[in-house]
Amino acid sequence: MNQPPDTQASDARARVTGRLPFVLNERVPGMLHAALVRSSVPHAEIRAVDTGAAAALPGVVAVLTAEDLAVNGDPLMFGDARQDQPVLAHDRVRYVGDPVAIVLAETRRLAIEACSLVDVDYVDLPHVVDPREATSDAASLVHEAQAGNVLATWTLRHGDADAAMAGADRHYDDTYLSPPASHVPMEPHVALAQWTGDGVVILTSTQAPHVVKETVARTLRLPEEQVRVRCRDVGGAYGAKVVTTIEPVVAAAARAVGRPVRLELSRSEEFHTVCKHAARIRIRTGVRDDGRIVARIVDVLWNAGAYATNSADAAGYGMVRAPGPYHVPNVSVTSTTAYTNTVPSGPFRGAMTSQLCWAYESQIDDIAADLGIDPVEIRRINLLREGDRYPTGEIMEDLHYDEILDAVTSGLAALPPAPPVRSGHVRGTGVALVIKSTQTPSRSECLIRLDAAGGVELLIASVEIGQGAHETLRTLAAEALGVPQSGVRVHLPDTAVAPYDSLTASSRTTFAMGSAVQDAAAQLREKLRGLAAAMSGTDPSRLRNAPGGFTDPGGSRCTYEEILRHSGLDSCEAHGRWVSTGGLGSLDSNGQGSASTHWHQGGVAVEVDVELETGKVRVLRAHGACFSGRTVSPIRVRQQTDGGMIFGLGPALFEELLYEDGQITNPNLSDYMIPSMLDMPPILGGSAIEGPRGGRRELHGVGESTVPPMAPAIGNAIRAACGIRIRELPMTPERVLRALYEEAGA
Amino acid sequence: MTDIATTVSLRVNGSLEIFDIDPSEALVWTLRERLGLQSVRTTCGIGVCGSCTVIVDGKPVSGCLMLTVMADGCTVVTAEGLDATEAGAAVQKAFTDHHAFQCSFCIPAMTLAAHALLEEYPEADDDTTREYLSGNLCRCGTYPRILDAVGSLCRRANSSASGEERPA
Repeated sequence: MNQPPDTQASDARARVTGRLPFVLNERVPGMLHAALVRSSVPHAEIRAVDTGAAAALPGVVAVLTAEDLAVNGDPLMFGDARQDQPVLAHDRVRYVGDPVAIVLAETRRLAIEACSLVDVDYVDLPHVVDPREATSDAASLVHEAQAGNVLATWTLRHGDADAAMAGADRHYDDTYLSPPASHVPMEPHVALAQWTGDGVVILTSTQAPHVVKETVARTLRLPEEQVRVRCRDVGGAYGAKVVTTIEPVVAAAARAVGRPVRLELSRSEEFHTVCKHAARIRIRTGVRDDGRIVARIVDVLWNAGAYATNSADAAGYGMVRAPGPYHVPNVSVTSTTAYTNTVPSGPFRGAMTSQLCWAYESQIDDIAADLGIDPVEIRRINLLREGDRYPTGEIMEDLHYDEILDAVTSGLAALPPAPPVRSGHVRGTGVALVIKSTQTPSRSECLIRLDAAGGVELLIASVEIGQGAHETLRTLAAEALGVPQSGVRVHLPDTAVAPYDSLTASSRTTFAMGSAVQDAAAQLREKLRGLAAAMSGTDPSRLRNAPGGFTDPGGSRCTYEEILRHSGLDSCEAHGRWVSTGGLGSLDSNGQGSASTHWHQGGVAVEVDVELETGKVRVLRAHGACFSGRTVSPIRVRQQTDGGMIFGLGPALFEELLYEDGQITNPNLSDYMIPSMLDMPPILGGSAIEGPRGGRRELHGVGESTVPPMAPAIGNAIRAACGIRIRELPMTPERVLRALYEEAGA
Repeated sequence: MTDIATTVSLRVNGSLEIFDIDPSEALVWTLRERLGLQSVRTTCGIGVCGSCTVIVDGKPVSGCLMLTVMADGCTVVTAEGLDATEAGAAVQKAFTDHHAFQCSFCIPAMTLAAHALLEEYPEADDDTTREYLSGNLCRCGTYPRILDAVGSLCRRANSSASGEERPA
């Protein structure tokens, strides 16, 4: 673990000394602080909102409700895909935490204090928390227009799963549960909106500035050019800042009062804003006696929560990822997402993948045990390989599962041994693999500009969340232009100057924006070559690339600065693009087509220790691996591999949002714990499986590849240690102990 | 704000600060909002996560749980002032050298906790470090690099304790 880092981030010192710019730090003159009055009940009609006492508090400037923000009498509604979420609840509330009013005051403390003086008169309605209940005939409706509470259903049919299942030698039918979890970015959601003559400028901690721009424009009924979204460095997101959340209410409130408005969510509000999709997965697998999987039928029911956010498409992504990294000729997947009266669900690092990986990677070990085949061997028998047909019908390329499986098993074996096992404890090892499609279709564009002094500016809307995206893109630009990395400046995202980028998520930035940057740099270099050729009267093809310029056939060199000066230009720029087609929307009704431009591949192997008397599980050693394409920065890939394993540990062992009577009972970091340094595996290893350099596919994302396999690898290790199979996350001591008792009793 | 404003004096990163405040004001608020020290950050607000760790009279404390009046007359060090001492500067350098950061929201406070650890246990092994820093949470999971950074200083402390030359 002590290898020296290869790239020193240019802002390393600012990161360490606390001088990094966050939206949290932003203040503007005349700014008001906002706080939200949130629903205390899971489902109710709003009869009246009394804001009088709060508004009368000295220092409170306004208390606004849906009526105050309405445009032409219509309440404002938002949503990334479906506009079903009120900016402020108007006729009813649909979950505990649903915003009902916004208080604007001279200080944040006052705004928060005034919230408790707002009196909302609710008429309770029946509520539903469990998607299974929500989709039953008797369920109350979360949205009156949505019969049966089903937001979306996706189906994939490949081969003949029923017939193949009937013909299989053995059948396995299991149900796995994955609960809601919370992202817990250390920096909360925070936004500051300021209106000018040209429209609204929103500073926000987001992963998707252009999507926020579009969503706010649509919500506030503005032309898109009147909404400008700017970012700073983001203090953690993990998917929580992909979907639009607080920006519409902040922009609308600022418009209503004619002053800048800042809203920073409290930690409790973070838990009530967006969460991981809970899922119930029934997985049926038909296998031949020799270990070959011949059929798989997966039925997934996702909890969308109270509003759609991205959940309809997310269920489609889940459908695509459900079969796992195996060559299964006959597959049927039904992926349904349902509204409930709970926190809206959204993308969560390893989105719509961790839940399924938990099911398929756990079940395959049970199958292996039943057939008397080694868990690694049964994976080898079934692995997806180059040229295989995925259950979406597409032919797979760039697959590296054999190498990943080797890397994690040999990597774990090569790690220093754990301390000797203590009496009353047992040990076991487990392995798990994952496949994840990336967001498709998607688009990334960038501007690259060379100035007269030879400096290069990169204008992008990709967000720096600490993953090192800006440094990676800087490296790629510098390399393609033949200039030192220090000569390239990456601007913080600003939709007024940076062209479109879908989002900084789905492990897509290195690949998608990286490709756009390479495209832009190549174009810029060709423009400069043309200028240099005109300048010297040489044929452009005879000018060879040289550091910071070109060399002519005579061996003399001209620099970019000289080219610009001689051409009488202050600057020269190029617009780079990367666009993918196909994807979810292009699949036929059987889920057949081209689902993803490429596939994220990862795996982990772990050794766990189980204390038999308490059921406490501790991961002692872990080795993760991912396919990294051409690795741009080994240290940052390693940070993702290690960080992914540590992140994945939480939902595997202890993270779960608990509900009672429709209310979260653990919305704080004391009752909802995230992994600390004591929880992380004390012995960790990581491998990056590299692809060839060059070509359209050389770059590859790595941000999520070790998150999903953590839970099943740990579950498999527990099974190896003491023979029990846990099928409900998290694997708490209570669940382990109960399973141990049941095993002993059986 | 209540009527009972109290005068408090603090020495923060070497400079004396005197102000009248509401006795219920938390130290994290005073440092961040009043003095503009942006390295001091609130994440949990209940003393669990360590994002607001500052050093008060040599000890790491959660700035969200300490009232500013409780720190009256004390010396406070935040990440902005950690490099005032050689040992503090070495911690910051070790974090940058070892790439011990991702989103970096928690990292300034982590450097203060690491500094306090090294002051208290100059020869800390990884187990001691894990225990000591377990109250500083990093959601990105940068822990292995943080251990590397702290470990590099422990070795340095060990070698200088045994009379060897410090590496340049």
